[in-house]
Amino acid sequence: MTKYITKRILMALLTLFIITFVLFVLIRIMPGNPFPVERMSAEMILQKRLELGLDKPILVQFKDYLSMLMSGSFGNGTSLYNGAPIKPILLKCLENSFRIGVLSIFFGTIVGLLIGIVAAINRGKFLDGLCTIVSILGVCIPSYVFMIFLQYFFSYKIPFFPYFFDSSRFLFSSIMPALSLSLLAISIIARFTRNEMIEVMNSDYVKLAEAKGVYGWELIRKHILRNALIPIVTVIAPLVVDLLTGAMVIEKIYGINGVGKLMVDAIAGQGVDYNYVLALGIVFSALYIGAMLVLDILYGIIDPRISLTAKDG
Amino acid sequence: MEKIYTPSQDDFEFIEGRNIEVDTNFASQGYWRGVFVHFTKNKFAMTGVILVTVIMLFAIFAPVFSSYTYQEIISANVDGKEIVAKSLSPQFAGSAENLFADKTFIFGTDDVGRDLWTRTWQGARVSLIIAFVAIFIDMLIGTSYGLISGYFGGRVDDILQRFIEIAGSIPTLVIISILAIFMDKGIGLVIASLLITEWIGMSKIARAECLKLKEREYVLASRTLGAGSFHIIFKQILPNTIGPIITQVMFSIPVAIFTEAFLSFVGVGIVLPQCSIGSLIEAGFGNITILPYQILPPISVLAILMLGFNLIGDGFREALAPKLEDM
Amino acid sequence: MKKILMLTLLILAAMVTGCGNDDSAADDTLKVMLGSNVVSLDASQATDSVSFELIADCIDGLTQLDSHGKAIPAVAESFEVSEDGKTYTFHLRDAKWANGDEVTAEDFVFAWRRHCLESTKYAYIMGSTVANIKNADAVTKKEAAPETLGVSAPDSKTLVVELDAPVSFFPALMTFPAFYPVNEKFYNSLAAGTYGTSPETFLSNGAFMLTEYLPGSANIQLKKNDSYWNASNVALKNLQYQVVSSSDNALTAFKNGTLNLATVNGNQVESVKNDADLSKNLEITPTGLLEYLSFNQDPKNHHAGALANVNLRLAISNAIDRESLVNNYVTNGSIATYTAIPVNFAANAETGKFFAEDQKQFSEYVSFDVEKAQRFLDAAKSELGKDTFDLDIIYANDGGDTVIKVVQAIKEQVEKNLPGVTLNLQPMPKAEYLDRVTTNSYDIAITNWAPDYDDPMTFLTLWTTEGCEICEHWSNADYDKIIADCTSGELATNYSERWSAMYDAEEILLRNAVIAPLYTGANANLVSEKAKGVEFHSVAIERVYKNVK
Repeated sequence: MTKYITKRILMALLTLFIITFVLFVLIRIMPGNPFPVERMSAEMILQKRLELGLDKPILVQFKDYLSMLMSGSFGNGTSLYNGAPIKPILLKCLENSFRIGVLSIFFGTIVGLLIGIVAAINRGKFLDGLCTIVSILGVCIPSYVFMIFLQYFFSYKIPFFPYFFDSSRFLFSSIMPALSLSLLAISIIARFTRNEMIEVMNSDYVKLAEAKGVYGWELIRKHILRNALIPIVTVIAPLVVDLLTGAMVIEKIYGINGVGKLMVDAIAGQGVDYNYVLALGIVFSALYIGAMLVLDILYGIIDPRISLTAKDG
Repeated sequence: MEKIYTPSQDDFEFIEGRNIEVDTNFASQGYWRGVFVHFTKNKFAMTGVILVTVIMLFAIFAPVFSSYTYQEIISANVDGKEIVAKSLSPQFAGSAENLFADKTFIFGTDDVGRDLWTRTWQGARVSLIIAFVAIFIDMLIGTSYGLISGYFGGRVDDILQRFIEIAGSIPTLVIISILAIFMDKGIGLVIASLLITEWIGMSKIARAECLKLKEREYVLASRTLGAGSFHIIFKQILPNTIGPIITQVMFSIPVAIFTEAFLSFVGVGIVLPQCSIGSLIEAGFGNITILPYQILPPISVLAILMLGFNLIGDGFREALAPKLEDM
Repeated sequence: MKKILMLTLLILAAMVTGCGNDDSAADDTLKVMLGSNVVSLDASQATDSVSFELIADCIDGLTQLDSHGKAIPAVAESFEVSEDGKTYTFHLRDAKWANGDEVTAEDFVFAWRRHCLESTKYAYIMGSTVANIKNADAVTKKEAAPETLGVSAPDSKTLVVELDAPVSFFPALMTFPAFYPVNEKFYNSLAAGTYGTSPETFLSNGAFMLTEYLPGSANIQLKKNDSYWNASNVALKNLQYQVVSSSDNALTAFKNGTLNLATVNGNQVESVKNDADLSKNLEITPTGLLEYLSFNQDPKNHHAGALANVNLRLAISNAIDRESLVNNYVTNGSIATYTAIPVNFAANAETGKFFAEDQKQFSEYVSFDVEKAQRFLDAAKSELGKDTFDLDIIYANDGGDTVIKVVQAIKEQVEKNLPGVTLNLQPMPKAEYLDRVTTNSYDIAITNWAPDYDDPMTFLTLWTTEGCEICEHWSNADYDKIIADCTSGELATNYSERWSAMYDAEEILLRNAVIAPLYTGANANLVSEKAKGVEFHSVAIERVYKNVK
């Protein structure tokens, strides 16, 4: 087990390295200027390029970039926020996104699992239909439309929640964006839970357990949920990353300084900010790879049938 | 005390007129024929088929029979000044008192002065085309990739998963920006972006299912009997993964439509005055509290489509899965 | 299962305790909407009116604008001009930075030199087209040492500025943030690149100071600066900015009281006008922003073969119904414009009339006249030997709904009025848009320019051979000569001749249809009772809060 995990972690690091390289090259060959281009003469641009070392061979640039990363810095921006150091800004944005993401995953998983379990147990009955409708609504209403409605009813009609994000009342003002973000998670998780549970409930070992006299919550927890959880985990792990990075429109509406907003600023701002895009790309990738790593290890814990060590092939 | 009941002949009588010798006997039928029969018996699934068909019929025919084109700005000239029929709430000829009282706008007009009825169905048409094409290709690529990766395991799995991790970890926006350099903006670019980003999810589901299934006894038995890998993957495992994959397809259709809307938002998607469900929602969103009728038609069409696809998906899933008890 | 649940609860608990719960929305806070992010608080890097507004909240320059847009003293108590108009001597008052340092003339010298060296977009403002400060062009190009720049501090309270040619609007120009001081000692104590990125790295000498700010943040908080030289006349205690991108959202937030000052557009303006209560809060303020179409004439471009033809350009310009654009689509009080200089901008110091008062002056070239447009089109068709023209029109899609509606209306109008012309809309992110317009890879661009100072020249220098914000790739020796004469040549000293020469330049520009002006922008502001007293300006700094009562 330890050997397997060590191997996976090493592989993950290697993957991250390759991604860093690929991103670096892709972003360097992207057209467009890394500087705000209005009122800039050709000589000024050339001079700026020299300053940033953009004239060197790309491998040398990559080596420089790596040694900077190793020293724990993401460097300075090229065009965004007058070239301020990236790290503190990125950390602050990550913190905001992360808190809201965690909150919405929390809502999403709990409510999603509950709805899914209720639907599966009452399969074909009224409650099942109700749960299906709820989960379908979650998929077909964009989260930002839901956000606007929440804002309209619970900040404007009934002024309870703050209208915009307020970092001094963090948890309180995170509830609405987290709720609207969790809508998608709820429906995806609910649907998968329901389908997987039904499949497991029809399997022979559950029937055997029933025949042995196991029933109720005991049966669901020990026999059904444990086996139904595998595909659900596959859905939750990438959702975590999606929620961290995919809240761009909500961040915009509610005025949250998050990584989604930062990414849009870096790409669609005055000029493409190479270093922000790179830093964000690397961070997003690291998060994603981390989630996948956890997922793979969880596979082993949840379903012992999956052989972790010696793989035949 | 205790009276033991003894059955007597009076308790039984002959059923008249029933042929008890012949049990209902189904003719031997193929797998897919069974699926079809089962599917058509499912009321929910058929409701889904009807909903999707109705929307598709409207999407195909409504723009053709509309008195306006989807990009036509309707205007009137008053004393040399051009007045545009913008932001009118739904009206029928004669029902409203404005400059355009003689015209019918079933869904009203948008804030540029175009008929929303025509635009909604035109948008549904564009979105459906995008979603179908993209998701179909995604399904082919993703499923094969996931099954092969999950089945072979070991080094093959490692290499394929490394590739997915790399491809899937690069932020979508970066991929799309780079793609936008090489391609013209519009439907083609949207489909290409969906192809690049969406197949990964599909392949993960397929892989997870495959990991679960390949250790099952029937696969082992098949392997022991000398079946080739190709046979096992596509004949033994694939049919059993179709349930989750179809569920995933049903979830991918809204994702496809939303991705398209997002791309339009960033400026590489549908090019105006073309429209799609996503871009209509985007446009209506800007006036959601003061002109809510503008966002209602596209949202409703989207909701009906999704409901329909979900019901069809459920129906398929149940019809395809031979292990469900009611089969 | 239970462990996971416990863990999640723990994380949640940590999140709750991690943040206080103080009520910051006190009554003495003015809450103001910003339409977009602050680009930078460093005056040498800032490029947009939002950044300029914040910088001006916090830093006082030599002069400031009064409620009528006239320059009045700020840090400079008084100034003298030499007889030839080439030397300005400013006498500074006893003003202090928020850390207690004196505001000295050296702070200005340091800031101006730094601006020449580090600014990208606004380095030109020191140079020969605008301020005419001695040696500024050479310093900017790094051909001369920064010490040779024509600004000096004989003592800590006297600032002497030497110009190459007289500049009639020089005192008003000093209100532009590029000319604000930077505390040299404070600046040098910071790590490179961190100036103006947090409240700790930004020092103010103005009416307000930062309390909460992060680059790109949607919520910015300022409080009154008690060490401001005129602090006794500043009534406002707290100022809070909120970035709101959707007009619909801004309207509900205003109704809700979450915003005291908001800017709305399009449909929201109409809904406000129809609302008896809200319409009382509506205040339309003109801006000096000119929205226009720019025609690329670069022969290397794939469609420019056609647009290099003046008749085609004139045909398009005359086929656009500008009144319809502003009445049906922009609807925020913007004014249809038929001149290259926006309406209600740059009043003549002698007559008091605005430069573009007469909108019919160039109606021969710019008007809405379908027949005339078609005559131009026929001429273009026979000259080019082509019957159809397929042109791309590019625009930045983060400019809000308005530009998207306008560009669709233009497409409809042009295609209806000019048979054979097709316009293809091409939205794109701002970065790509800027890249396309500066590298001449476009046909038509919808663009705008806001004035940096109160003189028509802020627009006219855009279209010289060298001026290249939006490159039309048009070059005209007569035009260049007039502009050179007016900025640094012989006409610089003669006010009325300079004024009429600028009309000549504008005539050349419009006769050649280098651009097609569309409309002069306006802001539809929702102003609550609390925000009465906010001053609105059409040049550089759009809103001033010092005098809110």
